[in-house]
Amino acid sequence: MKTNQKDYFLQLEKDVLAAMEKPTRAYWIALGISGTLLLIWALLWAYQIKEGLYVTGINNPVGWGIYLTNFVFWVGIAHSGTLISAVLFLFRAKFRNAFNRTAEAMTLFAIMVAGLFPIIHLGRPWKFYWLLPYPNQRLLWTNFKSPLEWDVFAVSTYFIVSLVFFYVGLVPDLAVVRKYTSGIRKKIYSILSLGWTGSLKQWLHYNKLYLFLAAFATPLVISVHSVVSWDFAMSVTPGWHTTIFAPYFVSGAIFSGTAMVMTLVIPMRKILKLEKYITVDKFEGIAKVMLFTSLIVTYAYLVEYGIAVYSGNIFETSIFKYRAVGDYATIYWIMILCNSIIPLSLFVKKLRRNLVYLFVVSIFVNIGMWSERFNIIISSLSREFEPYAWGLYHPSFVEVGIFIGSFGMFFTFFLLFLKLLPVLSMSEIKEEVY
Amino acid sequence: MEKFAFDDQAGFLNKLKQLIDSGVSAKKISVFMPYHVHGVEEVLELHQSGVRFFALFGALLGTIAGFAFTIFTVYHWPIITSGKPLISIPPFIIIAFATTILIGSLITFGGFLILSALPSPKNIVSTEEYGNQFVILVE
Repeated sequence: MKTNQKDYFLQLEKDVLAAMEKPTRAYWIALGISGTLLLIWALLWAYQIKEGLYVTGINNPVGWGIYLTNFVFWVGIAHSGTLISAVLFLFRAKFRNAFNRTAEAMTLFAIMVAGLFPIIHLGRPWKFYWLLPYPNQRLLWTNFKSPLEWDVFAVSTYFIVSLVFFYVGLVPDLAVVRKYTSGIRKKIYSILSLGWTGSLKQWLHYNKLYLFLAAFATPLVISVHSVVSWDFAMSVTPGWHTTIFAPYFVSGAIFSGTAMVMTLVIPMRKILKLEKYITVDKFEGIAKVMLFTSLIVTYAYLVEYGIAVYSGNIFETSIFKYRAVGDYATIYWIMILCNSIIPLSLFVKKLRRNLVYLFVVSIFVNIGMWSERFNIIISSLSREFEPYAWGLYHPSFVEVGIFIGSFGMFFTFFLLFLKLLPVLSMSEIKEEVY
Repeated sequence: MEKFAFDDQAGFLNKLKQLIDSGVSAKKISVFMPYHVHGVEEVLELHQSGVRFFALFGALLGTIAGFAFTIFTVYHWPIITSGKPLISIPPFIIIAFATTILIGSLITFGGFLILSALPSPKNIVSTEEYGNQFVILVE
């Protein structure tokens, strides 16, 4: 047993609760910037709804522009949350305890942002509920054979299950927050903590519940991004129609998600002074997951070329040639540099344990993974089968603004989370230490 | 009602064993902990949590619901799409997979709430806070 158990617990609670206290000036500035971006996002979308989709760069043949790129990007970001909280929980990987709350929050916010993009992409977004199967006067049901309908089920299930998982993890910690607050805040936290007392009966059921939710969420890590990949792979478009798409997308999702966790947690740890709990060892664990998934993604890039060449299919071969040397080659090589080459440096232990370096790499990976999705979607659509129907795509300022604004939305939610909920899973850290 | 409070896990577990050995019935003991101390349920010889039955029931219900719903809808207004048979099992598996997880986890969560008697209005209004202490109450 380490230092006095009672003192350690008190210190832990004090440190985590301190992060929820009155915001500093830096926090307000960050919130101001994200809020402004969020506002820009809202205004631009309102403008697009008023004017119609012609304000975007979407055209024929490139009907899926960066809105769908963003959708895949944000769904991918969401994945590491479930990976860290559910899969690593089942594997009993202890380094997850420092990250799981942040990662779960990130998952929720990323799905919220992601889920909006297909709706933004609709010409009449107010009819989005037509995607849901409900009894209606026209006696029509949704087409369950369509990959887009699978997406509706996969993403909404993912959101609801992640929300339940996040909330369940919070309950014992909310009871701790309840103890330290007063007035209206105490009332809110009391209601949210459901009257948790920490009795043996509650803990017994709670632990089983947590285990089962982890078990339910684990297949989602694989299934959700597989379904997203089938949006592409089920079509006959060259460059999309391959069987490796599901594993390729899933590993890419975990790769980008671990990068986003680092982008968020490295500054958060410093600003909220949580260095004692989120140690460098724990970052090294995540860095290893990132390195490993980077290798898988690189392997998939190579295999894609292998399949194209081996198939002898002229459309497949030419689309892959086009990606590397065609109109969007810059994006392609940014992708290779950020996803395949830069992460290789994480083989060096010293770099893996250098947080500033990890932060920089994580930014590169975020850029690289966005480029990957751009590369897959845009290049394939602009050069399908018929040269007569080829065409180029350039995003308009509305699309770029909405893309940047989506970061504003994500960070606004995240910053609110930092001040309203405990950022570390206290009960799990207590259990881990003793 | 007798109350024993401890600041550390070891002292708490020892006392609990001592109480059971001295012949106090496990039913008369209530225990409060800041985190789940493994081994307490063995000392008190408790059964496994019933949450697992909810998980099984929810998952099965979800699978059946997913298939039943998709099959019902294609028969309710039969339209051939993409030249595929009305009941196409592979795409329906994907829907049923999602509903299995969705309904399974929601029912498991519901089961947890029922079994642990949460939300508890009494404790929401005011509850005795044991903080980080390990507490044993003996009736």
